[in-house]
Amino acid sequence: MISKEKIEHYVEKIPPTPKALKDTLTQLSVGELTKAAKIAESDLALKSYLKNLVNKPIYGFRNEVSDISQIFGILGVSGSQQTVYNYMTTLLSPAKWLMFKLNSSSFHELQARLSKRWKDILTHLDINNKDIESSIALLPASIIIAEALFSEKINDVNLLRSTKDMDLNTILYRLNGIDLFDICEEIAIKWEMPPEIADIVQASSGLKPSESKEINTLAKWMHLLLFYELSQPVFIKAGLNDFIDFQVDFVADIYEEFMTIMDKQ
Amino acid sequence: MRAIVKHGIGVFTPQGFLDGNSAESLLGIEDVEAAKNLKVDMVLVSLKRVVFFNKNGLDVFLKMFSKIREVNPILVGFSDYDTTKYNAINKFYPDDLGFSLFKTQEIAELFTSSFKNKHKTVLLYNEDKSQRSAMAIELHDSGHNPIITQSKEEFLKKKKSESSYDVVLEESYLGQMGQKVATRVTGNAIIYTVSSFLDAEIGNTFNIAYHNNSLNVGFRLFIFDMFKVISMNIHAINFFSRLASAAAEYNATICFVGLSFDKTPDSFKNTLEDSGIMFFDQMNEILQDKELLKELGASSAGNVKNKRVLNKVVVTELPQFIDATVATIEMMTNSTAVKDAAKVHEINVKDKGDKIASSIGFYGDIDGMVILVFPKNIAKKACELLIGEATDDKELILDALAELVNIVGGKVKSLLFDQSISVEITLPRTYENVDNLLEITQNRKGVQVDLSFDNDKFLFFLTR
Repeated sequence: MISKEKIEHYVEKIPPTPKALKDTLTQLSVGELTKAAKIAESDLALKSYLKNLVNKPIYGFRNEVSDISQIFGILGVSGSQQTVYNYMTTLLSPAKWLMFKLNSSSFHELQARLSKRWKDILTHLDINNKDIESSIALLPASIIIAEALFSEKINDVNLLRSTKDMDLNTILYRLNGIDLFDICEEIAIKWEMPPEIADIVQASSGLKPSESKEINTLAKWMHLLLFYELSQPVFIKAGLNDFIDFQVDFVADIYEEFMTIMDKQ
Repeated sequence: MRAIVKHGIGVFTPQGFLDGNSAESLLGIEDVEAAKNLKVDMVLVSLKRVVFFNKNGLDVFLKMFSKIREVNPILVGFSDYDTTKYNAINKFYPDDLGFSLFKTQEIAELFTSSFKNKHKTVLLYNEDKSQRSAMAIELHDSGHNPIITQSKEEFLKKKKSESSYDVVLEESYLGQMGQKVATRVTGNAIIYTVSSFLDAEIGNTFNIAYHNNSLNVGFRLFIFDMFKVISMNIHAINFFSRLASAAAEYNATICFVGLSFDKTPDSFKNTLEDSGIMFFDQMNEILQDKELLKELGASSAGNVKNKRVLNKVVVTELPQFIDATVATIEMMTNSTAVKDAAKVHEINVKDKGDKIASSIGFYGDIDGMVILVFPKNIAKKACELLIGEATDDKELILDALAELVNIVGGKVKSLLFDQSISVEITLPRTYENVDNLLEITQNRKGVQVDLSFDNDKFLFFLTR
């Protein structure tokens, strides 16, 4: 159904980080918000994405924010880096979604919701680390990869899943020994993302615990956050609720605490 | 979201957070319609991957349960929960549950008519005495051996020796019963348990799809346990006469055991006998008599007189069947198939050792049966995707093989549908060795196609 060659071909096709983004990230990494904003201004697609994202209702700004330096100022270094990574993830998304009933707007909505709530979680956990904050940006790449690999085989996948309760991640892993999160990691390496980002996303599958206790804790929160969002009607209708398996036991011990944060919103 | 059907149970598996909004989004109108048309003994909503639910969320599924039961009076309910979830559900619906609760799907399966589900020793406890009795009766009628504990203390004490029981049944509840005729499989016979007064309603409560499926996959002896039947009217007589006529086409036998004619006219017995139904006083008269069992067809299907032959319509569609099989196994193994030869004759399995088989029937615009014979190694490889790991557990492999042949059946159905041919598929059946298969296919001609998957030989057989 999906061969190793197809996966390799997919990963090969992923473009390297565009120069403007690389330069923006370099400036952000040294805390130069103004210089980063100036470079970002030169990439019109990035500029448009940033404006679109921060003006979504979940960010709660009363007036429209349109100036990039203003956006970076509001988001801060960590938030700006995360948003640039979010934009990079969207570069992988298909022109037309076939497997999932998504479009660029609903996908951006998912990114915005995950980013905002991830920030809330990190604040609650008293974690202030820009790479950890950015890790959430890589998570939706798993959806894009699933779309890219499985969309040509929708009928086969549906037939298989009509007989067996099996998520896309499991199908991919059992066929090739590689899962969606492994491919996310390959993308992170290709894009020279800090290794911590891929580590957290890998562990957030709930299937591959990290050796680091801190990463495992963050992974739990990320896993539960993902399913909190994938239980929203818009994403259920998009067919995302069961694209990967929810590991209830993995998150059982943080559930109550998680809900206190979500209830505050 | 659609239910996945396995062992006679349709299961919905929602994930994450289940409130009124999310549940409404999970269950569309088409999903409910599809659930109403499922040919199953039970529809369940598994809560194993739900971290949070509220009453509004469950209510959405309750509405679906009502709609299902309006057209199909089967068991419906929730499964796969822990004690916290069990208590929450009971708290949401304190007066009358109206649906069933099964702590695990293994427990739920005890109350279905799956071919796999036989003679389990069940340790049973429920705080409610009437529930304990209802469960015990249902389990008994389904051919299991319930060990009822009368108190929590007794239950906990006995539960310590868990290995003495096949299933421990607790924190479960039987809601509105299925009204379906209890069914169990013993050897190569199927036993249906019916009770009280039988009238036209028997046509609704008897699972005719399951019965036809059993005929299609080779069962030839059907025993009705009639001990609890008080009487029957002419509508029930007509129903059984029709059943007997249909069975005759397969050379199958229908027996009534323990039916008292105190309140039923003798003429009814004559009518039933004329239609071919046999009468016995005790179950053991049949089950303990090997000669009689053989005569009645329960030890072999080889004595079928009216052999059904392949017809042109089925053979014309052969490429669809081959394509479906090849595509499915290629999909499951990421390998490529080569067709070696196709011939019309009786099934010919070279080197029977270390092979397993499975079959699936189809009926509708055309009817017949697809049989797949695998060397155990290909079966294991083809089933790795379904099982998730290499295994030598024969039961696990056979179970996965049933799922695989079900996928083949689904693919056949869809390819034929593209040709405007409408068929339904039966439940799959598996055979742990070739001899078991040959009992069913003896003297039947069909098209045999030998295939190779990465040089491993594999046999496809299409017959009627």
